[in-house]
Amino acid sequence: MKYICLAYVGEEGWNTMTESQRNAALDEVFSYTDELRANGHLLAAEGLQSARNAATLRVVNGKVSVTDGPYVETKEKIGGVYVLQARDLNHAIQLMSKHPVVRAGGVEIRAVLDMTPMLEASRERRTGAKG
Amino acid sequence: MKYMCLAYLNETKSEAMTEAERNAFLDVCFAYDDVLRAKGHFLSGEGLESARTATTVRVKNGKPFVTDGPFMETKEQLGGVLILEAKDLDEAIQLISNHPGIAAAGFEIRPIADMTSALQASEKRRRAAAKA
Repeated sequence: MKYICLAYVGEEGWNTMTESQRNAALDEVFSYTDELRANGHLLAAEGLQSARNAATLRVVNGKVSVTDGPYVETKEKIGGVYVLQARDLNHAIQLMSKHPVVRAGGVEIRAVLDMTPMLEASRERRTGAKG
Repeated sequence: MKYMCLAYLNETKSEAMTEAERNAFLDVCFAYDDVLRAKGHFLSGEGLESARTATTVRVKNGKPFVTDGPFMETKEQLGGVLILEAKDLDEAIQLISNHPGIAAAGFEIRPIADMTSALQASEKRRRAAAKA
């Protein structure tokens, strides 16, 4: 099973850390990420720039409206995304409980939807409509 | 530049769609994803199971603390993730503005951090620490 883990971090906490505190935190995060990768549990990982650089798009009165900032204004923001391969949810929880990034805020674990049958059915409808 | 696009949707509304409405919506979304893919903009995408199946891990008193449900209880929940390749934020905004999914979801577009130099510096520190 694939799981997407959303790492929520308090950006303020990070910004008030000293350089050596930041380095120590990064080293812990990277070494645990290496461990996950070596064990075949890490499919992908991306770190995000500050949520201050976010843009949000919504449809308002039938038109796309663009605003600066994240979709939801909260103290903690998504700072990184991990895609895990795990046996089941309990295994994913176990893997992320040991991740040092949990201490920076929290991690939301979400099962990835297998879109294959939806995608195949849609391809059939679309090619059928053309033919 | 790589951009992470987080699609937030109201699950109650999307679950209220009829099958025909849902199929029509999926078809236009998938067709646009194919356009993005053909132009080299679509790096990866994942849809998520309902936020009702989410689990959140936090640290409480130094120990992992697990709860059911998403990190934040909000009306809209993360329903999918799309990684785009775009020249700049303006191009990413333009690409997502044309995505039919925007009729049902709000999109947060976030530049992906280039971690290469931080990773290399960390590897160097860890190697030096292992030697010492």
